[in-house]
Amino acid sequence: MAVVFGTLGYRPKSLIPTIRSTPKVDKVVFYCGADPKERDARKNVAEAKAAVLEYCKSMNISAIGIELEDPFDFKSIALRIRRDVRKHKKEGKEIAVFNIAGGTRPTSSAALLVCILEGIPTVYVHDVTYEEIHLPLLRMEYNQVLSGEERDMLRILFKNRAKMLTEVELAALVGKHKATVNHHLRNLVSKGAVRLEKHPGDARKKIVRLEESTELLLGDDE
Amino acid sequence: MRILVSTFGGDDYAKVLSAMKSLPYEKLVLVGEASAEDTEGFHKLSHLEEMSGHDLHFEPVDTSGFMETVDEICDVLVQCSKDPEPGSSNLIALNISGGSKLLGDAALFSAFRLGIEAYHCDERVTKLPVLKGATAVDRFTMSQVKFIMSIKEDGMLFDELLQTLLPAGRQATERVLRILRKERLLETELRSGKIHVALSAEGREVARTIGAARTDRAAAADR
Repeated sequence: MAVVFGTLGYRPKSLIPTIRSTPKVDKVVFYCGADPKERDARKNVAEAKAAVLEYCKSMNISAIGIELEDPFDFKSIALRIRRDVRKHKKEGKEIAVFNIAGGTRPTSSAALLVCILEGIPTVYVHDVTYEEIHLPLLRMEYNQVLSGEERDMLRILFKNRAKMLTEVELAALVGKHKATVNHHLRNLVSKGAVRLEKHPGDARKKIVRLEESTELLLGDDE
Repeated sequence: MRILVSTFGGDDYAKVLSAMKSLPYEKLVLVGEASAEDTEGFHKLSHLEEMSGHDLHFEPVDTSGFMETVDEICDVLVQCSKDPEPGSSNLIALNISGGSKLLGDAALFSAFRLGIEAYHCDERVTKLPVLKGATAVDRFTMSQVKFIMSIKEDGMLFDELLQTLLPAGRQATERVLRILRKERLLETELRSGKIHVALSAEGREVARTIGAARTDRAAAADR
């Protein structure tokens, strides 16, 4: 049995064709949210949501329509979707496809980002013809791009992100020599995953900071 | 030189402005549909750049198809990364928040394909988790890359491919075939009793990524 994920705006027809064309769907999870600046947005989104839920009910498919608190907050949307995707994966569910055609621009882009990071097949639906366009799977295997030590360092920095860790303190937490940690840190800085900042109390020391993007890279359940 | 490349749709002046304020740059390049060049937003941005003594560069792209748009944006990014100064390369930051949904998503796809630093700039600025220089190619071995790049557009017979990949032996090539097929990058079928090998849609995307990475690296080598 398979799960279909999707983003939804005003047009239920941008999502329903994917539910129809995917075999053995037993669950649909979709994200929607209204632009507070746009007149009638709330009403239009509510109607689209109701239509998708009604279609799924008729087809005996369970469906969850998740209303995003802020459909323009790219980072929060990406973190939310990734958490849900990982939860389904952990439960052993097969995510057949993610339809990113509907919703606000940040919602669609955040969904695409999650698909790339999690290796989920992605589909668009054409604005006019409602034809499905399958995107080639572009999966980033960061496990093969970063070394084991680098991944360990990122995880430790993520867990301790509220603290001001120096290189020496990080080396102690990782259990490696300072020179080794320094070598990996230089790689991580060049890849844009971490940055070094001056220590406020000691000019000789450097504080190791995770770039904000690394939080999205790791996901919040690491 | 630091170059800020931003997607642009004409009505999203504020998003580009947010990127301009947040990301340091020496040259601004906008990517969008040709019609975006003749908009009030474009003229405002152009005026701002003139005031700082710079030109605003515009690269029109055709957004009728997703992957075609990805290819066009990749071409722009590769061109921008070339620096006429020997021994140096331009630093690129890409903002994906402007323009249509398709344009922004295609730009995000391009950033991952080429390993370009990327941002989503709106009222909030979000740095996206693209590791600089890391692309989907990095997960393949040299022999896998050679295998993928040797397959003709319409596919070919495995025996023919074996000849192309010499001096690699049959066993080694069959092993690569099995791995790539398991990753759904290849499609194989029997044709008149012989194995025919072709790239799947995912395989073709990997081939495009390898091609783009090679162009990028060749440009770097030229410098």
